[in-house]
Formats: sequence, C-alpha cells, structure tokens
Amino acid sequence: MNRFTPFSTAPADLGHYPEIRPKTSYFRKTYIAVMLLVVGRGLEAAARVDPTVRRIFQHLPDGFCLCLGVGPAGPWMIAKKDKKGRLRYLGWRRRAARAHLRLAIKNLASAMRVFTFQESTAQAFNYDRFTVEGSLPQALAFMRALDRVEVYLLPKVIARLAVKRYPGSSELPGWKKHLNRIRIYLRAFFPDLIRVIYKNI
Amino acid sequence: MILPEFYDFCGRAKIVSGENALEKIPALLAGLDAGRPLIITDPGVENAGLVDVVKQAMAPGLESAPVYSDVPVDSDYHVVDQIAGVYRENQCDAIIAVGGGSVIDTAKGVNIVVSLGGKTLLDYQGAGAVRKKLNPLVILPTTAGTGSEMTLVAVIADPERREKMLFVSYFLLPDLAVLDARMTRTLPDFITAATAMDALSHACEAWYCMEKNPLSDTLAFQAIGLISQNLLYVIKNPEDTQARLALANASTLAGAAFSNSMVGMVHNLGHATGAVCHVPHGNCMAVLLPYGLEYNLHRRNEIIGQLLLPLAGPETYAATPRNQRAEKAITLIRQFNQDLHDAIGGRHPRFLSEIRDRDGRRLVEKNMLPEIAEKALSDGARVPNPEELLADDAHMVLEYAWEGTPLDRTKIKTG
Repeated sequence: MNRFTPFSTAPADLGHYPEIRPKTSYFRKTYIAVMLLVVGRGLEAAARVDPTVRRIFQHLPDGFCLCLGVGPAGPWMIAKKDKKGRLRYLGWRRRAARAHLRLAIKNLASAMRVFTFQESTAQAFNYDRFTVEGSLPQALAFMRALDRVEVYLLPKVIARLAVKRYPGSSELPGWKKHLNRIRIYLRAFFPDLIRVIYKNI
Repeated sequence: MILPEFYDFCGRAKIVSGENALEKIPALLAGLDAGRPLIITDPGVENAGLVDVVKQAMAPGLESAPVYSDVPVDSDYHVVDQIAGVYRENQCDAIIAVGGGSVIDTAKGVNIVVSLGGKTLLDYQGAGAVRKKLNPLVILPTTAGTGSEMTLVAVIADPERREKMLFVSYFLLPDLAVLDARMTRTLPDFITAATAMDALSHACEAWYCMEKNPLSDTLAFQAIGLISQNLLYVIKNPEDTQARLALANASTLAGAAFSNSMVGMVHNLGHATGAVCHVPHGNCMAVLLPYGLEYNLHRRNEIIGQLLLPLAGPETYAATPRNQRAEKAITLIRQFNQDLHDAIGGRHPRFLSEIRDRDGRRLVEKNMLPEIAEKALSDGARVPNPEELLADDAHMVLEYAWEGTPLDRTKIKTG
C-alpha cells in the first residue's frame, strides 16, 4: 500500500509520521550561553561596583530570582538577590519555575540579533522579540541594569549599538568608566568563576 | 516612509460612524447573534441624558436593555464582579459600553468574567489568561480622546493591593465601535480640548516613536489632520455635529495607531504625573506633547518635520524649508495650546504649574517633580521613546514643562 497517497481510504498509520523537530544550532546556542554567562557575571560584579546598578537591585526584594534567556529551551542566565542583599549569578541551569521575573527572547535567531548587537535591547523589545513573565516595572529596571553592564563590558564602538544612549562624560566620566570596567572584569572572571562553573556542571 | 524590519498590526474592530449610527446597533448586534445587551455607563453620562439617546435610537430594533450606571471614575475589580452579576441575573448576551476610558475598561473586564465563566476578574490576571473569543462588545465613546475603543488593553484597579492590573489580549478589542456625534455634542469645551489633545498626543507619538509602522503612520497622519482642522472650530461651534464627528473619528484613528505602535515619553511622564498628582490625563498630554517632540528632535528631526503637513496644511509645509519643519511643527502645537487656552477662558493649561483642580488649587507642585521623574522609570512607555529617558532627563524636562518655557536643547544628553 502506498501510504503517501492522498486518495487512500485506509486509516492513517500515524506511527509512520514522526514529529519533525527543528535542528538545533549548537554554535548559536554555545555563543549565546557564553554571552549570558558573561552578562550574568558582569551583573553580579556591577551590582557591587557601580552605584547605579547597585541602586536598581536595592529596590528588589531579598530572595528575588531573575532569569534571562532564550525560549523555549534555553540557554538561560539565572541570578538571585541573596539574604545579604547581594546579587549572585547562579549559572545557566534553568530554574524558571522559581524565577520571580523571566525575560525570554522568543527564539535563537532573535537572540543572535540581540547578542551580536545588530539590535539594541530596547529595539528588540519594540520588535516584540521578548516575553516577560513577572512585573513590568521590575523588567524595566533590569533592562536599565543590563544597559549599564553592557557599557562596562563592551568596547564603546559595540556598546553604542547595544544601548539606546551611550553615556557621555557628564553621565559617566571616562576615568570612572575605565576604573569600574577593570574592577568589574576582575570581579566577574577571576575569584569564583570556577565555583559557578563547577556547581553548574 | 520607514518600513521597519518587523512590526505587527491588528485592528479588527468594526467601526460604524456617521449620522444615525446608533440606530444601526440592533441590526449589527443581531449579526453577532446577540439581542439582549447590558448597557454599562457612569452617572455623568446618564445624567447628561446620553443613555436615553442610545435607548431611544435602539428602541425600534431592541425590546429592552438593562442599564448599569454606577461605574466610578477609578473603577476596580469589585465593580467589575458586581456588574458581571447583573449581566448574569438579566441573562444578557452582549455588552454596550457608553462612556470614556473608565467605563470602557470596566466593560472589557466584565466581558472577560461573563464570557470565560469565572467568579471574579482576579481569576484572569497574568499574561495570556484571556485566550478565547469573548461575548459581543459594543463601544460608544462619549469623549473624543482615549481611543480605548481600538485598544487591546484594559486597566482595572485592585484596591487591596493598591495597584492597577493590566489585561492585554487581542480578544479585548471590541466587536463594534459606534461613532455618533450625539454622544459627544454635550461635552464641555475644556474636556473637549483636553481629550482631543490626548488623541493628538497618541497620533504624534505613534508617528515618531520606535514602533512606528506604515499602517499606524497612515492612521496617525489622518488623525492629526482631523484634529488640527476641527478642534478650535468645535470649541467655537460646539453644536456642529460634523466637526464633532471628525474629532471622534480622529480619536479612533489615533487609538488604532498607538495601540499598534505604542507611545513614548509624553505618555511616560504623563502617566507618572497622573499617578503622583492626580492630574487629568488629557491636560498632561497637552502640556507635555511639545516637550516630547523637542526632546526627541535630534533623533527624529525629519520624521517630526513631516508632522507639519497634517498640522498646518500643504501650503505652509511647502513654504517651510525642510530643516525648519520640525521646529515649526512644535511651535504650532504650542500655539495650539495657547489658542485653546484663550478660547476656553484660561481653563486649558499650557504648562504643568497651570493645572488646577475645581477649587483652583495647583495640582503639580515643583517639589513633586523628582518623585514624578523617579516614578516614570517604571512605566513601559519609556521603551519605545527614541531617546533614552532616565530620571535626570525626566526631571529636566518636567522642570521646563512646569515653568512653560521651551526646552534648552543643549541640556539634552545625546550620548
């Protein structure tokens, strides 16, 4: 029997029609996972170094858990404000059910546009590339912190593409920016990055 | 025209506009398989006799329609649940909302509860909770400004938690919006001015903000033209039904435009000012609109310059050099506020310090501006604004808007 004929009156044998799953681009997933790790560690460091980022997270309740990533299957970045009021990057293992705020880029292709800085975070929001679960004011506060961290982590020529307005010298003096950048990089990647990777693996 | 890399647009409500539009409601309801609507309105609209106008117009085609007329100004979910009970008791099968923003949002809330079968609106909080077609909803706007008849949003207060719950779903778009000049003919001049300036701010922000798209541009452009041609005329000739209808259409067009391309800093600061100082929304919009345009001028000069065409007409547009059009458009909007102020005997505010309550008390004090600026950070309308607006920037703009002087553009941080 030709089971592909559209004129067949025989009942369809659904076992012969397996669900087709889209192929995953491991390169893209890995790239975004690394970027999220950098952002997560950068956020934790910036929350201690930069007063603006610190103030943003001070307004969130202790125990607040946030999750940024790519829907539906990741990768993710999880961060939590601990009992001492410090933001801690927890890694990439999804604990989305427990997240108080979850920002998900809808798919890998859109996430690549954001993380290769073809689109700023604000532009991606405007193009409806994000889904937000949780409070909108908290999501907006998190976006402000994200913009600030990108200014520190990225060179000016790239950060200008990632944020709506790159802070001028009146907002963030050059010497302060470079000093904070060094402090953030040192904090983000040297003392306990190994601890985070070990815990997640 | 700018074609964005991505946009979405949805405007599925049927619009019926014109003379005797109200008389068509029974037949249109029958087409939606409904014949016993609940009319939801507020005491002001009922006292103005507008519900009687609606009932008389529908009488030949509709036997009876129960009326709920106690929607308060700041409606909450208790009111919604109460009206849902009235709807069920009377075995209604559709809703007709007659009123402004509060009534329309309440009606949308009631429709969620009665259509999805819940006990309270609280059951349907959160993203994506409304995913089914709701019962027929007809909206009869009595102000020409909010554009709520074209939006997919309902904002309803939760008094216990002291917050406003936001419901967003394409199913909240009404099935039918009816624009009839009889609904807005008795609107006082100062409310006509404030609500029309609200509609103008919807259209202008839809035009220049980051989510602009060809469809919302088309609607915004027409709305601005209708408002600039008819608003002052209506203030001087309030009985002119054709001009009233033009404003009602402008409001609906602007509503459809901003519902799909969102609004920016004018609404961002306006929402925050309203929340802190309880200022009427339309007044805030009228005052803040020129400042929003000025603040974004360095990023949107060409686009804001194009607003001169619907605002001033083709002769002025053609006679103005291209690099001066944006400035001229902003000057015209300021002049528009001044003309309304003069025509209404000073009841239309030109700057924030001029906004007063019924007893003449100033509503926005200068020492409230830092709190407003801080509050504005939590409003979603920040995101589509072309230029970044942080608390310092917002405070700077609010100070100029409070004093009524044009923005010193050297103080705008451009990065």
